[in-house]
Amino acid sequence: MSDISEYKDVWIFTEIKDHVEVHQCALEILSKAREIADKIGQKLVAIVLALETEQYLPIIKDYGVDKIIYISHNDLKHYHERIFTSLIYDLIVQHKPSIFLFPSTEAGNALAARLAYRCRTGLVSDVLNLELSDEYGNNLLISDKPAYLGNVLVKIICPATRPQMCTITMGTFQKKKVKKIDVEIEKIEYNYDINTLKIKILGAPTRKDKPSSTLSDAKFVLGGGHGLNSKTNFHKLFELAKYTNGQVGGTRRPIMNGWMPEHLQIGISGETIFSDLYLSFGISGAIQHVVGITDSKTIVAINKDPNAPIFKTADYCIIGDAKEILEGLLNHYRVSD
Amino acid sequence: MLKIFVLIKQVPELHNLEIDRRTGTLIREGVENIINPDDLYALELGLSLKEQYEGEITAMTMGPPQAEFALRECLAMGVDHAILISDPMFAYSDTLQTTLVLKEAFDKIKEYDIIITGSQTSDSSTGQVPYQLSEALNIPLITDIFTMEIKGNDFFCHRNFGHESQHIQTQLPILVRTQRHFNEPRHISLKGIKSAFEKEIKVYNFNTFNCPNYLDGCNQSPTRVVKTEKIILKRKNEVIDGTTKEKIERLINIMQEHGIERIWTGVRQDE
Repeated sequence: MSDISEYKDVWIFTEIKDHVEVHQCALEILSKAREIADKIGQKLVAIVLALETEQYLPIIKDYGVDKIIYISHNDLKHYHERIFTSLIYDLIVQHKPSIFLFPSTEAGNALAARLAYRCRTGLVSDVLNLELSDEYGNNLLISDKPAYLGNVLVKIICPATRPQMCTITMGTFQKKKVKKIDVEIEKIEYNYDINTLKIKILGAPTRKDKPSSTLSDAKFVLGGGHGLNSKTNFHKLFELAKYTNGQVGGTRRPIMNGWMPEHLQIGISGETIFSDLYLSFGISGAIQHVVGITDSKTIVAINKDPNAPIFKTADYCIIGDAKEILEGLLNHYRVSD
Repeated sequence: MLKIFVLIKQVPELHNLEIDRRTGTLIREGVENIINPDDLYALELGLSLKEQYEGEITAMTMGPPQAEFALRECLAMGVDHAILISDPMFAYSDTLQTTLVLKEAFDKIKEYDIIITGSQTSDSSTGQVPYQLSEALNIPLITDIFTMEIKGNDFFCHRNFGHESQHIQTQLPILVRTQRHFNEPRHISLKGIKSAFEKEIKVYNFNTFNCPNYLDGCNQSPTRVVKTEKIILKRKNEVIDGTTKEKIERLINIMQEHGIERIWTGVRQDE
């Protein structure tokens, strides 16, 4: 292992989403990483691999980067595990970054795990906060990660190996534009021999099963539980969602009752939501569900039982019959003006 | 003959979890240990491939000695062999260390065609091991598969990848990560339970791998937990009082404050 003091700068894998735009999560991470880079007096560097990458650089420049290292090639149109891993690993070996952060996405998680193995370094997934501290070593990154179903926060360090790597979920940090006058741009020539690839693609039509809107992207989510009492009542959630551009989800019970399909489950064995507003109807608030909703900005809980644990997690608590409240909302939104 | 390996982990049963109201931590006493739920889909895929292609299937886990019970359960489901990787030296291994130990095990096994994993473990949920093992063994990792076919040494499948539905071809050996609800995991038969306790479980420990220093999980893991804190949720907990009508009106206000408006659906509802 080489001397860790040789490792400098904060790198961000600035993912391009569906070859159309810079991933929002990457911009959020850049904003947070700017603070970190300032504190340790090192450079903030965006790593961008895409097709026609130049088109994305102006947007990235708005988020306080000191430097952009990019590669542009047709083979980089989509994330490719071997090509991306190999090209970025070469950059790490050459430049030795001290910190390397990734969006917690399909590509980001895969890439970070592969690179951490190649570098024989640590990787912390889905961190909630990052800070620098001298408590355990000079300017060491401390990553907070939830454990035990979101009940405790563990603070993790990576003291002896570099880079210090993390993946970060969308919505964890706030986007903040910072104008920098001169941003250094370095273009790296693409050099990957695709003949060494082990997977041959025989056909690749665009998939049709991908829902246009998913729970994890939804800004407004309506959640239902056993307290709605019947399938008829539960289906009123879908009607309300239709009028309000919301998404319906729920606990395990409505699935077992046959009220909603399995993929709409929110919580430990389902989806995590990041909505601006979450309304929960007749949900008691078992921990398995609650871990999936705590990333929502505002939570409203409606339940008959004033002692239901869901109220502890809620910003607004309505003690009352969820069916009645739902019916009342429907009456309001049903009527067109 | 197809040599199939399924990686499993023993985890605490999460559905009957109790939280200590004073300390906010998990009560571990009396909590049952089970096979990680996502791994059941991996087992089912392994067992069905064995039936289809006349293979031989081995369940493998790394964990404390009691993880043997999870392996017995796999044997009862119809798995042929079981390997328990267990040694106090492997305790506290993080994902990188776990991968290094698994690599050592597969280097020793030498002959493997398909290694199957679940999507993630319910206790730590990092999901990193399949990717890292793919790097370590330098074999492809295939995720999100929906059909597959093996012809000799060639592996064909359809998988979802990004926004594409790809038809791909590759050569064995490979790693396959199963997604949730990919299949219907089978139940254990009575006959299976009987034979499960007659079969031998192979144990790999630190000595098996000739004790290389880099497999010391406690001292070589790159990540270290330095503090554990109780999470205190910062929520307003504002109680909305009044009649049902007043509550509904307030809720509509909250929805409007969050930018939620009625959208035109093209269908007029009459009451």
